[in-house]
Amino acid sequence: MKQIAFIAVLAAIAIALPLVIGESPYFIGILISLLMMAALSSAWNILGGYAGQYSFGHAAYFGAGAYTTLILLTLYNLNPLLCMAMGIVVASIIALITGSIVFRLRGHYFGLASIAVAEVVRLSVLNFEFTGGAQGILLSDVVLWDLDLNSKIPFYYGMLLVLAVTLAITAYLRKSKTGYYLQAIREDQDAASSLGINISFYKNKALLISAALTSVLGSLYGLYIRFIDTSAVLDLRLSIEIILTAIIGGVGTLWGPVVGALLLVPLAEVLRSNVLGDILIKAGLVSETSGVGMFLKDNLAHAHVLVYGIITVLCILYLPKGVLGLFRRKK
Amino acid sequence: MKNKFVSIVAGALLAFPLLAQAAPLKIGFINSITGKEAQIGENLTNGATMAIEDLKAKGIQVELIKEDDGGDPKNALAAYEKLVTRDGVIGVVGPYTSGCANVVASRADQYQVPLLVPAAAKEEITMKGYKNVFRLNAPANVYSKVLMDAVKAYKPKTIAYVYAATDFGVSTVKTAQENALKMGLREVANEKYQQGQPDYRSSLSKVKAANPDLVFLVSYDADAILLMRQAKEIGLTPKAFLGAGAGYTTAQFSQQTEISNLVVSATQWTDDVNWTGAADFGRRYKAKYAKEPSYHAACAYEAMRIMVETASRNNTSANLRAALKAGSWNGIFGPVKFASYGGFTNQNNHSMLVQQIQSGKYETVYPAQFSKKKLVYPFKR
Amino acid sequence: MSFLQPLISGILTGGVYALAGIGMSLVFGVMNISNFAHGDLMMLGMYLAFFSFTLLHIDPYISLVLIIPIAFMFGYMMEKVFINRVIHHPHQNQILLTVGLGLIMSNTALLAFTSDPKILTTTYSSSAFNLFGDISVSVPLLLSFLITCLITVILYLFLSKTATGMALRATSQNREAAQLMGINVAKMSAIAFGIGTALAATAGALIAPTYYIHPLAGHSFLLKAFTICVLGGLGSVVGAGVGGIIIGVVEAMSSTYLSSDWKDVIVFVIFLAVLLFRPQGLFGKKGGQ
Repeated sequence: MKQIAFIAVLAAIAIALPLVIGESPYFIGILISLLMMAALSSAWNILGGYAGQYSFGHAAYFGAGAYTTLILLTLYNLNPLLCMAMGIVVASIIALITGSIVFRLRGHYFGLASIAVAEVVRLSVLNFEFTGGAQGILLSDVVLWDLDLNSKIPFYYGMLLVLAVTLAITAYLRKSKTGYYLQAIREDQDAASSLGINISFYKNKALLISAALTSVLGSLYGLYIRFIDTSAVLDLRLSIEIILTAIIGGVGTLWGPVVGALLLVPLAEVLRSNVLGDILIKAGLVSETSGVGMFLKDNLAHAHVLVYGIITVLCILYLPKGVLGLFRRKK
Repeated sequence: MKNKFVSIVAGALLAFPLLAQAAPLKIGFINSITGKEAQIGENLTNGATMAIEDLKAKGIQVELIKEDDGGDPKNALAAYEKLVTRDGVIGVVGPYTSGCANVVASRADQYQVPLLVPAAAKEEITMKGYKNVFRLNAPANVYSKVLMDAVKAYKPKTIAYVYAATDFGVSTVKTAQENALKMGLREVANEKYQQGQPDYRSSLSKVKAANPDLVFLVSYDADAILLMRQAKEIGLTPKAFLGAGAGYTTAQFSQQTEISNLVVSATQWTDDVNWTGAADFGRRYKAKYAKEPSYHAACAYEAMRIMVETASRNNTSANLRAALKAGSWNGIFGPVKFASYGGFTNQNNHSMLVQQIQSGKYETVYPAQFSKKKLVYPFKR
Repeated sequence: MSFLQPLISGILTGGVYALAGIGMSLVFGVMNISNFAHGDLMMLGMYLAFFSFTLLHIDPYISLVLIIPIAFMFGYMMEKVFINRVIHHPHQNQILLTVGLGLIMSNTALLAFTSDPKILTTTYSSSAFNLFGDISVSVPLLLSFLITCLITVILYLFLSKTATGMALRATSQNREAAQLMGINVAKMSAIAFGIGTALAATAGALIAPTYYIHPLAGHSFLLKAFTICVLGGLGSVVGAGVGGIIIGVVEAMSSTYLSSDWKDVIVFVIFLAVLLFRPQGLFGKKGGQ
């Protein structure tokens, strides 16, 4: 009962948020990034957290969704939702091929093989002509019903919906037979196998669900930004960011990826836009022309990826089970 | 008397809110400070910083808000939206990369805040009819056009392409192929490569086997040096090496005289061109940053100067847009005017330059009206 | 065009890949960790070679005498301070730790050395000689290749003849058993990571005279090093050596006979095929564990 109330309050806040902050495209833009990362990381968590299969190649599914949608839209101008569905199909095909190769492997091999598959996808997209190659795809205006797709609001609710669905699937899976089997596979694959669990079937099932959700997010991203190229949607960095978010929040927990995104996305934006330096200068704590001020204004801008790296290292060393793991331990 | 009094009061009343509003002029600058393009981003930062200092010396105060996009279009969009909705800038200079500029440009009309793109080459950016997007530099098609025009008189017959598998590389070669067709040049090899590889010998050997008159190269990083080293190693000697992209226009490249001598390259700017203040800018830049200014630095300098000077006289985005559209400038980047022609909107029809490295120095060799030296053709080791 | 040209330049380039691969394979074998900072450690070697050339005027190949011990100490300390603490953690945490350490290294280099690429120009940087008339052989590449061979032989002798080397191999074969036999596995891990770092830095220094030096320059070699490891069999020094040369030749051949933009795809497809049909690698003994 308490849990339902908690979720209801959370949902109400999430639904009402754009109405409260109103016309601030900048903040809604950040919230969209946040929801997207939370959903991506939650979708990864179904495979990585529950089945224990750490995919380092989820960018491939994200890219499959984004590319399929934008290619179909530019070529045939189909309904965006239909394009999205086709994205799921393409992502599922890639997932099945990946699954048939990588699920025979364990541990390091699985992670490395998933990178290799994602790289093959990335390089192929880069080399083919119909994908726009290195030039990427720039989309003109899109029409879906009478939604204003120049506004950010539809994308905010779109991302929120996918996140809600992903979390609902995760919550359902946890309690279902599939969920138990997946966790059994994660804990001890050989034992699970000797109990008669069809390991490859359940791993592929988890991968398919995860890939389909990831591809929907890719489609939404493509429709939202309206420009994609391989470095934006198929890069290894994206795959790593997804895992990092899950780990920092707590792998294998329902809310972990959401918590991870709540921490990392605003942090990345604060570091990128150098808010910290600005605040210190505006508050009069540091003079803009002093040495420290110059350093904050010029060098901190260069250093934000460095800071991100340091935070990653500290989190892995001191919060190996994520933020939620920390609370669990204290209890 | 009464009238005079009224007009003074009215004047004071009108002036008062203006005085109260005399908050500093705010301009945004989106750039790739980190990420893969950070090296070129730094040149842009230096150029923009010098422009702000020069304007300060002229009494124009501006608050420049710098944003990093790290080369990621999503970040560039966030940066633009932050600048226009939170920081209240009236104009934005940037972003550097074509991908980022593409995304930001497509949103500029929505926010009605003028965007001046200093150095991104993708043609599409100013081909969509956006009212608030202006571009200073010449787009990708001009790179190949000007290079081929420079060697046209020598009647080359065949051409080979070696280029980075990037947006700029692919776009430039596409337009080069169109120009080659018009000139009657036969394509004998086409080698696209991934950046960051250590070994291009096999690709270059293929080019050598095809024995082309012209080798058209597109690289915008130190891979230009790698390619030319390996070209020398395997003994590739066409009649001319035509280089497009920043890789062939760096001081570092020209200093490698053993491999770079007589390489021809297209550039947006040189410091020996006879545009007002170009030589002086070059000297001051060298004194300040202890290195040669790249054309990106000059692009950023001039874009920032035009943006701030115009904005200082037009304090709203709408006025700024009108002034950018109507105005014309003359400075280190030659005559600048944002015009509509050949499918472009608000595009400065910039005349690109062709330079050749002659005994370790870049010399402008084409078009004739901007150059002091003559092109050396054919290429020899 | 001669078939021998891509073969020879492929073998020579593969030599440098091999060295990067061997370093990673050793760390893999002894510590069971995928080191995503390996490319950044290569970058470290490039800068060390560059600065000993420009500041101390030492030839990059001779500067290896300095670079190897410095890089070994760096790797040894890095293992003691960071890696050691996650050795019993899940794989993905280990990987992300090395990703984070890599970000710290590359971005510190970005702040310290700026993003301007450095070019190390020696008198022989673009010199070559001709073999059988029309096949050119790059002098710096040939030198790097010979040094790689020398280092591989020394490493092989070290692993098979010395007590420390045998302890390293024992740890690599079975960590628990090695511990029971009284081997200080924690120390072995640090030594393995030190050697791995030294090899990565050596690979960086060897490629420096023919490549460019940049804070992110190591990244292009990271995935290659992984491919080589798997191809040769995780933990196998000889395997990684051969794997490196195979990758070098495959790249050169595919850009000669197919197209240069598809060569990376071909490398990854071979990588996947090896995983599928021979997951223990060409020279590995252990199963896909």
